[in-house]
Amino acid sequence: MTPFRLALCLLALGLVGAWQVTLIPESPIQMPVGPILTPAVVVGLLLVIALLYGLSAWRGRQLDAVLGDDGQPLPGANRRMLMLLGGGAAFVLLAVPLGFVIPATLCGMGVARAFDEPLGWRSALVCGTIALLFWILFAQVLGVGLGPAVAWPL
Amino acid sequence: MNAFDSLMGGFANALQPMTLMYGFIGCFVGTLVGVLPGIGPALTIALLLPLTYHVPATGMFVMFAGIYYGAAYGGSTTSILLNTPGESASVVTALEGNKMARRGRAGPALATAAIGSFVAGTIGTLALTFFAPLVVEAALAFGPAEYFSLMILSLVAVSAVLGNSVLRGIASLTAGLLFGLVGLDLQTGQPRFTFGQTELLDGIEVTIAAVGLFAVGEALYLAWQGKETKAGEVMKVTGSLWLSAQDWSRSWKAWLRGALFGFPIGAMPAGGAELPTLLSYYTEKKLSKHPEEFGQGAIEGVAGPEAANNAAAAGVLMPLLTLGIPTSATAAIMLSAFQGYGIQTGPTLFSQQGSLVWTLIASLYIGNVILLVLNLPLVGLWVKLLKIPPPWLYAGIIIISTAGVYGAGNSVFNVGLLYVFGLIGFAMRRFDFPAAPLIVGLILAPMAEQSMRQALTISMGEWSTFVTRPLSASLMAISVILLIAPPLVRRWQQKRVATA
Repeated sequence: MTPFRLALCLLALGLVGAWQVTLIPESPIQMPVGPILTPAVVVGLLLVIALLYGLSAWRGRQLDAVLGDDGQPLPGANRRMLMLLGGGAAFVLLAVPLGFVIPATLCGMGVARAFDEPLGWRSALVCGTIALLFWILFAQVLGVGLGPAVAWPL
Repeated sequence: MNAFDSLMGGFANALQPMTLMYGFIGCFVGTLVGVLPGIGPALTIALLLPLTYHVPATGMFVMFAGIYYGAAYGGSTTSILLNTPGESASVVTALEGNKMARRGRAGPALATAAIGSFVAGTIGTLALTFFAPLVVEAALAFGPAEYFSLMILSLVAVSAVLGNSVLRGIASLTAGLLFGLVGLDLQTGQPRFTFGQTELLDGIEVTIAAVGLFAVGEALYLAWQGKETKAGEVMKVTGSLWLSAQDWSRSWKAWLRGALFGFPIGAMPAGGAELPTLLSYYTEKKLSKHPEEFGQGAIEGVAGPEAANNAAAAGVLMPLLTLGIPTSATAAIMLSAFQGYGIQTGPTLFSQQGSLVWTLIASLYIGNVILLVLNLPLVGLWVKLLKIPPPWLYAGIIIISTAGVYGAGNSVFNVGLLYVFGLIGFAMRRFDFPAAPLIVGLILAPMAEQSMRQALTISMGEWSTFVTRPLSASLMAISVILLIAPPLVRRWQQKRVATA
């Protein structure tokens, strides 16, 4: 990823936004400003900003942390990010069928792995304890609806 | 009833055992999140928003205020002992504080930070107490046109003044506005940017965006960097946790000056805490009788900026409570909490929810005392927290973030959205886009649109209403100046450097 590619992503977001603006139904209520004007202005602004940012990036005037004080990431950057996102995906896929604790444990293990902690019993134990403690605090003490601690799909 | 009487009423409520307990929890949690890197007050308050259904409004806001003030106190501990500021406003504290710790004077550095925070926090709260009713009185003259212009000013100020680039600030703001418009239009009920998903009809929750940007985004960035696998070097707390006579005499003026910088700048749209801490640091450096100590561990360089940071925290509450305008990410999330309780913010807040507001302000005084008592005796505990290895620290932060978002709506769609915002946060961190404009834009977009429509309905569709009403025109003019001044000043400075 480079600032120029980011500009392309912003442009794509703007174009998707523009397509969505065309799908907003006109209001049957008579009023000075309907539901379309503000979204259209914001999307227009986003497209202009994306073009300006892209132009600036193309001229090499935009920043990237890789070239800054933080420097190049250590090898395996994409793998570490995927581990973290994989943990999140595990939670999304498993929270409904398995309840909160097991998916949250897997989520935590993915994060810990992203910070170079090996996947193993120690990671499972620590993340499982954190997940269980948070479930007790949120669901039992504070009454937040996290669903059951453990469920099993029939 | 004058401000003093109202404040006394607030104290009577704030000193109720349950309210006091919420205040204590808030101060404790706030100091904790201020100490821990990777988790700040905005994220913590966002995670606690689901509790708005279970806790009374007064208790909740007293707790939020404790978290907000506590984080400002706690940030100094990390700066001094770890040289890793927990939040951007503590960066300046690290300059001299960590040097003091390395010279065996961690105790006096922590003490001057804590006492200075107490002094400045109290001065800031006093200013809030007596200036807020005046601002409310002035703001009662605001109509929808003035409100719209004020929101534009706030949005422009947050985007153009904060951060390193106006372009990136405006890009962040525009993305926030776009996300803020997702869902059913409040006036016509037409769906906008929903992609046919029923989950998006209610819009994007500020919790999801804030937690995604601040927690998941930060964790993704640090994981991508791969340099955060071990806990940093934590300095030992050496030296007395009290100030010598010389330390007192070098600190007290810096505290007062810091408070005088912090409150007014914090109260301005986009003032924030970074600018006053920097101003305080350079002022102390200029006025010090020991300028040679700056860069080596000068106590004034810790006392002034820490005071400025805490006074600015009180200042940020001024536009939030009096005008309903958030000028920071934390304030935006607190505004979202007000909306969660169905409380209308703005100048009418003081008349319609007087008891809540004055209890909140009274709790700030009490919170300052609690924080002074908590901070120094518990420094050993805070030091232990700094030694948590990053894999477990970030696993805990992400599990609690995921639980918070999942618990708010019991929706895995929202959890997926959380990670999408995490990726956005990662890109923003990597390419130096400020996060605050996105959050402020997200929350102000529907409010600004509503005010604009109301103003146009009143003016029979005349767009000139925004520039013909004197107050609205003035606010618009300031917005334009803020938008064009920073690039012009930067260009002028570059030219000056080039010719020198």
